[in-house]
Amino acid sequence: MGDLWKSFRRFLTAEEVPRWFGLSVVLIYLVGMGSIAQFGISQARRETAIRFQGDSQYAVKLLADRIEAIEGDPAADREWLSACQRALREFAANVPSRSVRVLEGLNVIASANPMETGTTIEGRISGASLAGGLEVATIPPATSQASGSDAWHRLIRAPLNPGTEGMGEESAASEVLPASPPRCLEVVLPLEPVESTSLVDQARLLAIILAVLGALFVVYRCLREQLRGVSKIANRLELHRDRIEDDLASLRIGDSLDSVTAGWNELVELTERLLATVQRTEANEELSRVLQRSGGGALSEALNALPDGLIYISDEVRFEYVNSAACRLLGWNAQDVKTMTLSDAQGNELGQKLLELIRGAARPEGDFEARTEVLEAGDDQAQDRSTYRVWLIPLQRARHHGECVVVIRDVSQQVRADRAREEFIAQVTHELRTPLTNIRAYTETLSSGMFEDPKVITECYNVITKETRRLSRLVEDILSVSQLEVGSIELHVDGVDLKSLLSDGIRDVRGLADEKNIDIQLVLPAKLEPIRGDRDKLAVVVNNLLGNAIKYTSANGNVVVGCQAAAEEVVLTFKDNGIGIDLSEHARVFEKFQRGSNPEVQNESGTGIGLYTAREIVRRHGGDIELLSEKNKGSTFMVRLPHRESRAAALTSA
Amino acid sequence: MAKILIADDDAHIVRVLSMWLGRHGHQVVTARNGEDALAMLDRAPVDLIISDMNMPVVDGVGVVRAVREKVGAAIPILVLTARCDQDRLNERLGAYGVRVYPKPFLPSQLVVVINQLLGVSACEGSLP
Repeated sequence: MGDLWKSFRRFLTAEEVPRWFGLSVVLIYLVGMGSIAQFGISQARRETAIRFQGDSQYAVKLLADRIEAIEGDPAADREWLSACQRALREFAANVPSRSVRVLEGLNVIASANPMETGTTIEGRISGASLAGGLEVATIPPATSQASGSDAWHRLIRAPLNPGTEGMGEESAASEVLPASPPRCLEVVLPLEPVESTSLVDQARLLAIILAVLGALFVVYRCLREQLRGVSKIANRLELHRDRIEDDLASLRIGDSLDSVTAGWNELVELTERLLATVQRTEANEELSRVLQRSGGGALSEALNALPDGLIYISDEVRFEYVNSAACRLLGWNAQDVKTMTLSDAQGNELGQKLLELIRGAARPEGDFEARTEVLEAGDDQAQDRSTYRVWLIPLQRARHHGECVVVIRDVSQQVRADRAREEFIAQVTHELRTPLTNIRAYTETLSSGMFEDPKVITECYNVITKETRRLSRLVEDILSVSQLEVGSIELHVDGVDLKSLLSDGIRDVRGLADEKNIDIQLVLPAKLEPIRGDRDKLAVVVNNLLGNAIKYTSANGNVVVGCQAAAEEVVLTFKDNGIGIDLSEHARVFEKFQRGSNPEVQNESGTGIGLYTAREIVRRHGGDIELLSEKNKGSTFMVRLPHRESRAAALTSA
Repeated sequence: MAKILIADDDAHIVRVLSMWLGRHGHQVVTARNGEDALAMLDRAPVDLIISDMNMPVVDGVGVVRAVREKVGAAIPILVLTARCDQDRLNERLGAYGVRVYPKPFLPSQLVVVINQLLGVSACEGSLP
């Protein structure tokens, strides 16, 4: 019962209109159709009844005419009576009737029912008169006249006049029997209560119409409640038709109270979420597509042109994109990369180290830690070992937290330069400390007063002087390197006598040579023209080359200094039979702060600036230094100096 | 009193150290590189070794290693160096019980250090 009430309330408050609506409409339709049919049927019955009324009146009239036409005296003639009786019976047989009789006053003189003849009726029912002398009355059910009858009946009374033939006799008879009451034919027929049934029908129809209207009102109310939400939605859509793409959230209905708007809001939210997902997916796919497009894509081409290696690892731990630099550095094939995953990937030495790094940075949550590390790979020889700086950058995007980008930069050059600079500083310090040590030690020897032997004192002064000169030359060298570096070196061009230049140079290194018992020969042509150049700078060149020759030649070796003059240039040669320089290092030894890599060189002190300085000075003179050497086969440095004054002059002015 | 071996490729250093140590009553033998020094040690034992770090053929570290392999920690060794990485060198050679001494130095102070080393080692020697 409670449930029923509840569902009824829901129905009234339009909560469940969709369910009830169809039912209501069907009911209303059936009731409407039923009532219309009912009304039609009753109308038709009524018409039939009316028509039957007419027909029965006509039949009664005909019967009356027939009875009137019977010849004879109704009062005494038996023949008349039997003929009349026959006519009445025939009528009764054809027309359903309760009684068909001929009355004379209250006496029944003839009847279709033979038992009735000769009886007297209790009273006359008077009715409405119709044209043609007919009298019509309606008899309600259960009147005394029709005992046991519960139906409506109709009484039709037609007056009977005497026959035309018997007129004279009649008139005569009337004269004889003046008090004879008028005769009449009385027929009682069963009848539908036409008038009264019509009224009931109308009332019923009205009630049905009212009920239908009521039901329609209820349905309308419910629908209106329900459609209020729908119209709100329609309003929103109307308002946002133009900017629906801009702001989906504005489609939401703020005061959502009923189920339709709440459902709509949920739908809008769902759409928003879906749209966001679609956009993300699209963006992701677009990026992947752009990145994967090989050859054609401008971005891909740009990334491939980068000197740095770039790897994009997707959240499925796949190598979504690897640019060509990365492929080259890691020893990967661009075709294989697409099928590789982090767990099964292989690579060269750097590749393995990098994969280890990436695997190490992967966290159990599925994302990566940011890392910046330096990896080394390549030949085990210190010089050829490459250094790479590697950045692992996780991409901070919601839902795609498993992605990262790895950048690999070859910093070997930079590292090598840094290392060379550090080595240079260490070497320079060492080189500066060596003469300083002597100067300090011999100075204290002098000042201590412990050694008074004049020979010792002289020796001390000599060492101090020599080491001071060495120190100042070293400072000059370092200074010239920095000058060469910034390009501010100036050549003071003058005529330079090569013979004195070379012999002075040899004299300066004689001490060193004697220590190792190295023989230095100077081979000069008979006639040697002076060349144009900066004598002090060229003296540095000679000193550096001679110093190297002695330094890298073992004891008892030979150094030959020569000079060949040609029309265009002068070639100075410095030939030794020392350790030599491997072909692979010919270019490197001329580089700033670089020295030979073999231990024989490394054990000797040196800053790695001598050959660099020498070649730079010679190049400023318009010439160059060439090297002919093989490992363990001695070295020959050839200094080519052009005669052309113009170039030297131009260099001066520059 | 003590016999000291000086190994250095710089003749001036060898000379000045010899003068100072001789004046303080030590007997000095000299070598121009590590190899010579080791050869001399084979011939006659010494009480203390002064070695330069950067030398041709066999450098200071080589000398230290060879001496420690042959005669253990008995001989005190003083390594002279003008290099910048003296801290690293100290770490490397400290394990061998070697004293690293920087260049440039004052001979008078070096003599004090040498005497200390000789005294310390003498004490150690007398303990067992």
